[in-house]
Amino acid sequence: MHGSVARRRFRAAFLIPLISLFLIGCGYNNIPTYEEMAKAKWSDVLNQYQRRSDLIPNLVETVKGFAKQESSVLEAVTAARAAATSVKVDANTITDPEIFKKFQEAQAQLSGSLGRLLAISENYPDLKSNQNFLALQSQLEGTENRIAVARRDYIEAVRVYNTELKTFPGSLWARIFYSSNKPMEAFTVADSVKTVPTVKF
Amino acid sequence: MIRRAAFTLLAWLFIIGAAAAALTFPGLTGRVVDEASLLSAADRASLTASLADLEARTQDQLVVVTLKSLQGTTIEDYGYQLGRHWGIGQKEKSSGVLLIVAPTERAVRIEVGYGLEGTLTDAATRLIIENAILPAFKTGDFAGGIRNGTNQIIRLLDGEAGSGATSRLPAPANPGTSMPIWVVIVAAAGGAGLLIYCAVSGGSACRALFQILFLLALSGRGGSSRDKSSPFSGGGGSFGGGGSSGKW
Repeated sequence: MHGSVARRRFRAAFLIPLISLFLIGCGYNNIPTYEEMAKAKWSDVLNQYQRRSDLIPNLVETVKGFAKQESSVLEAVTAARAAATSVKVDANTITDPEIFKKFQEAQAQLSGSLGRLLAISENYPDLKSNQNFLALQSQLEGTENRIAVARRDYIEAVRVYNTELKTFPGSLWARIFYSSNKPMEAFTVADSVKTVPTVKF
Repeated sequence: MIRRAAFTLLAWLFIIGAAAAALTFPGLTGRVVDEASLLSAADRASLTASLADLEARTQDQLVVVTLKSLQGTTIEDYGYQLGRHWGIGQKEKSSGVLLIVAPTERAVRIEVGYGLEGTLTDAATRLIIENAILPAFKTGDFAGGIRNGTNQIIRLLDGEAGSGATSRLPAPANPGTSMPIWVVIVAAAGGAGLLIYCAVSGGSACRALFQILFLLALSGRGGSSRDKSSPFSGGGGSFGGGGSSGKW
């Protein structure tokens, strides 16, 4: 009697590390790990979009000082910014295709109207040489570039996570232990209005 | 059968295509990588010396690189990937900077690592490019432009180090790279237990498991090895698209 309890304890002490090692070796931890990575990348993306959003009021004010007559473009930017900030996507809603699509479209709209604003500023030499405008412009360009990088990192993280959900042995763990985990959405709409110029000889 | 063969062929074509589309990067031969041969040996030596001094003072890694070709992509796209590929900057701080010159595309860029984005702001790097680099490049004086630009970047980095380097942006955490010591101990103890169990029982499933673990350990090792014989190597810093670019 006494001996069998001790033996059972001994066996449990032996089996628990064994089983946990086996689970880790077979990728039991992969799904939550990749999920957290993708979520972290997503918060990077949101950060950069927020940063762009924060730059806009200042930019609009600066342009207004030199190019009042361009009110339609300025209003379009302000409206697009308001629309983009109203679409909220947090780490828990990146699995919702509908909200994600709305978010993408709103941000693409804002990119488009910002592109037009920067294009018209080319027509105002005083504005173009204004130090404040130059600083804002370079910050905006830098932010657009960071958005591109953050988006690409996020897409890659989602690819890894979604692949893990669908392939063996991840698909097995997903079915048994992580049945509430859904594939995440990746960007499909091209955000940037800039196109890489193609040089032909 | 034929369908399977066709599928395999298609898969292989896809893999080859993906490999061809990926960018290739020059080797990190030193602090100055002059692939496009814009600098004389003396220029390279003096630049290398001042870049080494900078790292000794501030621990920031600045690398000057000239490229023969951007391989069809933009300098922004190439720049951050090159920085990540080389891992320029200290790992914990991501304090790396690249000065990239692509004479074929007539493009120049200052690529700033995550940790230095607060010091070398987009606006500051833009000013350096516009005022210190592009005027010289427009006259064809690449060595002069690179020297001016490097000096300006060093000046900003020095100023930052002098005014207390605590306000730097923390680099984003890199999950899964640092492991607390107890994890290692537990894993080692578990592995030893498994070994004993296997020796006692001698099952074939156990052997298979061991083979898998062995392969895993091998594949994990590949990424972390670094050439210790090279006098200069990146500290493992990362880049997120900070900095700015210019054309002439």
